[in-house]
Amino acid sequence: MSEKVTLTIDGREIRAAAGGKLLWAALDNGIYIPNLCAVRERVRPAASCRLCFVEVEGSAAPVTACTQPVKDGLVVRTRSERVDRLVRSAFELLLSDHRLQCRECPANRSCGLQKIARERGLKLRLTRLKPLPKEAAIDESAAAFSFDRSRCVLCGRCIWVDREVAKVGAIGFTRRGLERTVTTFEDETLAESICNECGLCVHACPVGALYFKQPE
Amino acid sequence: MTAAAIEAQYAGLQKQAVAKTAVQKSKPLVRVGTATCGVAAGAIPVKEAFEKEIGSRGLDARVVEAGCMGHCYAEPLVVIDKPGFAPLCYGSVDGDLARRLVADFLAGDDPCYEFALAALEPNDVFPTFSEFPRGVCEEKIILERCGFIDPEAIDDYIARDGYAALAKALALPPEEVLAEIKAANLRGRGGAGFPAGVKWEAARGAGDGVKYVICNADEGDPGAFMDRSILESDPHQVIEGMIICAYCVGAAEGWLYIRAEYPRAVERIHTAIRQAREKGLLGQSILGSGFAFDLRVFQGSGAFVCGEETALVSSMEGKMGMPQTRPPFMAQSGFRGRPTVLNNVKTFSYVPHIVSRGADWFKGTGTPGTPGTAVFSLVGKVSHTGLVEVPMGTTLRRLIFDVGEGIPGGKKFKAAQIGGPSGGCLPEAALDVPIDFDSLRQAGAIMGSGGLVVLDEDDCMVAVARFFLEFTRHESCGKCTFCRLGTKHMLDILTEITGGRGNPASLEVLRELAEDVQAGSLCNLGRTAPNPILTTLRYFRDEYDAHIFEGRCPALMCKELIAYYILPKKCSKLCDACVGSCPVEAIFTRADGLKEIDQQKCVKCDNCRKACPPEHDAVVKLSPPSLLSGKEGVPK
Amino acid sequence: MFSVPLPLASGEREEILKIVGDILKNHAANRENLIPILQQVQAKLGYLPGPAMEKIAAASGVPAVDLYGLATFYNQFRLHPPGKHRVNVCMGTACYMAGGRIALDSFERRLKIKEGETTPDRNFSLERVACVGCCTMAPVVVVDDKVEGRVTPTRVDGILLECGASNGAAGEAPAAENTPAGREQAEGAQRS
Repeated sequence: MSEKVTLTIDGREIRAAAGGKLLWAALDNGIYIPNLCAVRERVRPAASCRLCFVEVEGSAAPVTACTQPVKDGLVVRTRSERVDRLVRSAFELLLSDHRLQCRECPANRSCGLQKIARERGLKLRLTRLKPLPKEAAIDESAAAFSFDRSRCVLCGRCIWVDREVAKVGAIGFTRRGLERTVTTFEDETLAESICNECGLCVHACPVGALYFKQPE
Repeated sequence: MTAAAIEAQYAGLQKQAVAKTAVQKSKPLVRVGTATCGVAAGAIPVKEAFEKEIGSRGLDARVVEAGCMGHCYAEPLVVIDKPGFAPLCYGSVDGDLARRLVADFLAGDDPCYEFALAALEPNDVFPTFSEFPRGVCEEKIILERCGFIDPEAIDDYIARDGYAALAKALALPPEEVLAEIKAANLRGRGGAGFPAGVKWEAARGAGDGVKYVICNADEGDPGAFMDRSILESDPHQVIEGMIICAYCVGAAEGWLYIRAEYPRAVERIHTAIRQAREKGLLGQSILGSGFAFDLRVFQGSGAFVCGEETALVSSMEGKMGMPQTRPPFMAQSGFRGRPTVLNNVKTFSYVPHIVSRGADWFKGTGTPGTPGTAVFSLVGKVSHTGLVEVPMGTTLRRLIFDVGEGIPGGKKFKAAQIGGPSGGCLPEAALDVPIDFDSLRQAGAIMGSGGLVVLDEDDCMVAVARFFLEFTRHESCGKCTFCRLGTKHMLDILTEITGGRGNPASLEVLRELAEDVQAGSLCNLGRTAPNPILTTLRYFRDEYDAHIFEGRCPALMCKELIAYYILPKKCSKLCDACVGSCPVEAIFTRADGLKEIDQQKCVKCDNCRKACPPEHDAVVKLSPPSLLSGKEGVPK
Repeated sequence: MFSVPLPLASGEREEILKIVGDILKNHAANRENLIPILQQVQAKLGYLPGPAMEKIAAASGVPAVDLYGLATFYNQFRLHPPGKHRVNVCMGTACYMAGGRIALDSFERRLKIKEGETTPDRNFSLERVACVGCCTMAPVVVVDDKVEGRVTPTRVDGILLECGASNGAAGEAPAAENTPAGREQAEGAQRS
């Protein structure tokens, strides 16, 4: 284990392993920082959801906690006007591309987006932006679970477990920009693809994009 | 190997090259500019016309291809170098002029001065480019040879002291060469302006293992073609710079990452690499020094984001070109996880010059903060478009009005779009900003890689902002939330405004989003994508307001806010140029013989306005379209 | 949102696999070579058919979906055979400001397809490109690797005529690419 150091988050002194990432040090100590794409085991964080901004003393601008290495004497604030503004914007951007029908969603009450809204007092509806049209292309071909891309927030956690834990390689990111999609080779259904339906990706999904047909 | 032996080996190469080119100099030589832009303007048929005419007359003259001479407004360009005359450059050459030049100048002794643009060497008869207003402002370092050597003949380059800097460097300890680059404060010309020497030093200090040198030639800014021109015109200059860099940092392998959209550049670099290997300038023990280095080419598959260094390396590793978080920095962990130096085509191009002439010479040009020159592709509404090189610190005004000779057609200057999709639009009031990395950033634009598009009164600034957002929306890799979705929402708001459906509240949302995307994006593509919006909001707010509050496009550009109208008073019964020009048959002849536009059918393609003869000048654009009501022949 | 891959005719699959096999002989099938390999496959076949990607995936041990990811990420790669004539309209800054959009509209109108599509007879495909670096001749269109400068709607008609488009061939029918009948028709036209 690497050496333990002391850092301060929101005025609280905590001990954490040097070189680890700030996000995990905070979460392990019960200090919440919003996140969707973070995977603890990942050596190089994706840093793609842009929700975990914090203020670090000495940095001119907010930094993402998932990429910030833990150092001795680090002084961190999880909230500031700038941080709140960035988190609010990133959150609303994600909502604008997410089919917002919480009551019909299998992830209702366990959803990562709902958690962020609750913790940060954010609205679960669009205030400034218009919803982007989403086609509901639900893949129900797998026996135990379904994949609703209109709810996907592109965090990439399903792909990570598919590759690193299940070691299958059935799904991946394809396309670019707004068209970026989690899908299979040539957009086959999961049943047609090499997916072995282990279901690990369903557990990894922070929202209701991948969900079991029968609640567990 | 001693320093003297390296110098001697180089001297041998140069002697051969000089001898070879001297033989060629005894015969008349025709150089046809065949970089991509020359070819587009018809250089290949011109070259064939020369060859055919020379052949049929049985003349002893050579026709070779050259690169870009920078005077793009006058393509195709040809240089004729006939013993006894100063080399002369001719512009806008076509087949007829080619045959005439062969008959009168090559066969006879009349240089046809009436068609000549300039001489290339001082003489008593004809002015040179340096006597042009533009020549006075320009100072050519890395463009000096472009267009005046055969890019496919390494001897042309060596005869003009090419690879002499390499020989000099290899005779010195690497630390000393590196110290010179650092002392010169050579700042990266890819856009950010990070000092190259600092990068190199970090890579040099990163242990003794395998290291890489990569040249970023993934020039993707719409409106920029400097890197392409240099690769097509003087490829060895880039290669020489890369070898010297590799020597400094201790790399044995280098890569050129070139856009696949630049097939000619790829071809010429391959030829140059092959020739350099044959001369022992690449490969094992370069110039007998014991230093080994070789180059390979990677063709980029077309993704603007791959200009970002971590994305570029991802794509070289066979992945989607997606930016990564930093640290680790390239100098510690880049290509294949090894220390990597990545610089732009232009940055490497300066290196041989700095090594040859020294850091103090380099710092004698430009500003204290940014020594050297700036290379721009000067395009848009400017009389003399082309590739220009001016000292850093030159003002935009000088660049546009002296080098570019102002706006054509008596139109009024409106803005300079500098730095491409990451840059901004600067108004008249900002034209006295000196061009360097820091001043431009303060003004809200960026130096970028050197695209400069001049806009005049006919260009709508909201449409310009929208154009760039359409570009970044399309080219965003989609990895991070702000860039993927932020560019989409900003584009949607701009589309509403240019379509006459904007509202004041959405303008506030636009500004907030722009600031947040700037602050929150993962890589520089996203962080700089809002610049076109932020600068147009800052300098051209009145145009946004005209669209939103009056439904009017002041530049008469936004299709949904304009209408075409034929002025009955000016239209002639005897002319039907507009009728034939209309691609959708929207123009008809009225009972009185005058022409009229069916507004329902009109697609606003501007063809009729162009087709209407100047003596009538009867077709006008109106904005807002409501101005049509009450006009003669227009139903209420 | 997903377009269906074209069905392959009998014998076509074997031909594709043979060509890919030949290309793989000259390249170590590792991840780093994937893009050069895909570039060569496309240079030979004009596009990247599914069986080609699967074969490369199998040879390299990279998941097939990652090949699909590359093929859909980069502008250069195509998943469908291009038309006989490729019309690329430059949308660089200078071209856009000088009427690139008007040129694109004109092609769309004449060919009766949208950018990114191919005419049902597979005679033309229409694409926009970022910048071909000929900004001083704006607006620029690249037709089958030949650069055309200063393109107006009138010139668009001229270009299509030079490509031998009879009025009918330019596509009387709307793009039928996405209907099975259209695909068959297109396939037939391509092979005849």
